[in-house]
Amino acid sequence: MTDRSRAALLIAPAALFIVAGFLLPVGVLLMGGFRDGAGAWSLARYVEFFATPLHVETLWRTLRLGALVTIASAIIGYAAALAIVDSSPSSRGRYIGLFILPMMISPVARTYAWVVLLGRTGLVNVLVLKLGLSDEPLRILFTETAVFLGLVQLFLPLMVLSLVSALENLPPDVTAAARLLGASWLDVFLKVILPLTREGLAVGGVLVFTGAITAYITPAVLGGSKVLMLETLLFQRVSVANDVVTASVIAMLLIVMSYAANALLRRVASVRKA
Amino acid sequence: MTLRTAAAALALILGIGGAAAQQKLTISVYGISQDSYRKHLYAPFEAQCGCKLVVEVGNSSERLAKLEARKDNPEVDMAVLTDFNALEAAQKGLIDKIDVSKLSNYDKLYDFARDPIGSNYAVGYTFYSTGIIYRTDKVKISSWKDLWKPELKNRLALPNITTSQGPTLLFMVDRSLGGTTPDFAAAINHIGASRKDVVNFYERSAQLTQLFQQDEIWAAVTGRFNWPLVRKLNMPIAWASLSDGESGGMNVMALVKGSKNKELALKFMDYWLSAEVQSKIAADLVDSPANRDAKVSPEAAESLTYGADMAKAIKFLPPQTVIDNRVAWLNGWNEKIAR
Repeated sequence: MTDRSRAALLIAPAALFIVAGFLLPVGVLLMGGFRDGAGAWSLARYVEFFATPLHVETLWRTLRLGALVTIASAIIGYAAALAIVDSSPSSRGRYIGLFILPMMISPVARTYAWVVLLGRTGLVNVLVLKLGLSDEPLRILFTETAVFLGLVQLFLPLMVLSLVSALENLPPDVTAAARLLGASWLDVFLKVILPLTREGLAVGGVLVFTGAITAYITPAVLGGSKVLMLETLLFQRVSVANDVVTASVIAMLLIVMSYAANALLRRVASVRKA
Repeated sequence: MTLRTAAAALALILGIGGAAAQQKLTISVYGISQDSYRKHLYAPFEAQCGCKLVVEVGNSSERLAKLEARKDNPEVDMAVLTDFNALEAAQKGLIDKIDVSKLSNYDKLYDFARDPIGSNYAVGYTFYSTGIIYRTDKVKISSWKDLWKPELKNRLALPNITTSQGPTLLFMVDRSLGGTTPDFAAAINHIGASRKDVVNFYERSAQLTQLFQQDEIWAAVTGRFNWPLVRKLNMPIAWASLSDGESGGMNVMALVKGSKNKELALKFMDYWLSAEVQSKIAADLVDSPANRDAKVSPEAAESLTYGADMAKAIKFLPPQTVIDNRVAWLNGWNEKIAR
């Protein structure tokens, strides 16, 4: 047996599984969005979808929140990852454990925790009232802000873990060398650390962005009907209107957005230093 | 086809085929409270018929979609659905008429449960009312119009359109506003104008209890099935007695077209409809009985939709109205309320 055929044999079960169990059914489902009422190929469903202002609004909100969550996770994530990599090996394990821990808890429970924190009598509002920032409790729950916070909490660990592994591959001397040569900390970060870890940033960014735009429970619980996102709109179409076709249009849009984010971030990551 | 043959051959080789000697009945039901059904319904029925029940679970619309997808080769023999999903199934030719003469418990059902979608395509096995619960120390509620009292500004939760309570909410609010059109424009416009004063359009029962517990809300529209959970909070909360009545919903049983086990399916349905089984499942606060002879303790009755008086007070939303208008409701909701 040649190496080639052995490789083919080894890869066959996994490939068969993915094709039969994922690509085929998803393909069949998505095709539905490209047919008109009579069954002929057409883009009518997409034209219809974009002709509804609410749909476009929802698409923008999903993109905006996805981007904001990714950016916020990157900023907080770099700070945390730098600190983790700088700490002693034993506390490093502990910190990483702290970030992995919430990932082991169901997103439902994690999301409900925000209802406790952000509510009228929650921690945030108690502080706001005590500090005299407002006379009455702020309405944070069931707003875009609440969805944003919930999503950052949900996906930040993915960013931190990607950045930690990228930073661990950074030669320890480069930052010291840059400092010795007179670079400020900001310069060190922007000109040394960022370029050398951007692959990790790209991986983390794709994970966070894709997760944020496709999350269901967090926008449903923290935003509800008031903050409609593509994923909650999809559920609406299926559960209320029994409209699988529009749902498959939305699914297609989500897939395209995920792939576009992936392509964009990979491109950013692979640009060579000038 | 070849794939299916291969799978069958594999099943035979592995000895799974041996189970075929025992008759199998596949039922499609809601996922909730399966332990109670297992104990009071499935296990005793299996013991009685010497057959095996295969249980498929999911929400109603999702299981309706599955029935449609497997139309030509149905795996399910009997399904329970919402009344309007069952009507849709009948119109799409997915279910068969029920020979009600074979159901010994048929005459004991409340009138509205006997032929809820017409032509004997379904029988109701449980129903619930939809009403208002409120904090008795904060506000007084005696009609659907009271939802818009100034005290409830920023203190009210309503069900989301994606829940079974969504259309019912629109129905009752529309009536209370004197609405005249089946697109419930009056209700949608009114709720839309007050949407900023509504704390949340909730989706899950757990959200409802949490909102009361954290003092976020003082009133909410909900199905009676959530009432036991809210009562457990030990707060001054009451189920409102409404001068303009309550609405509600019904779940029905249907026979899947093409089933090879119709006789057995009918036996199972009849057993489920018996006063004995309905009483036991009701005692666990799972389903309110549609059999008039079912008896429950006064304590359990307080949590259920129980008794002839309560049954009579419910104004059901006609299933055909739901099918004809749900897309308009959803679009109106998204246009006026969800933004």
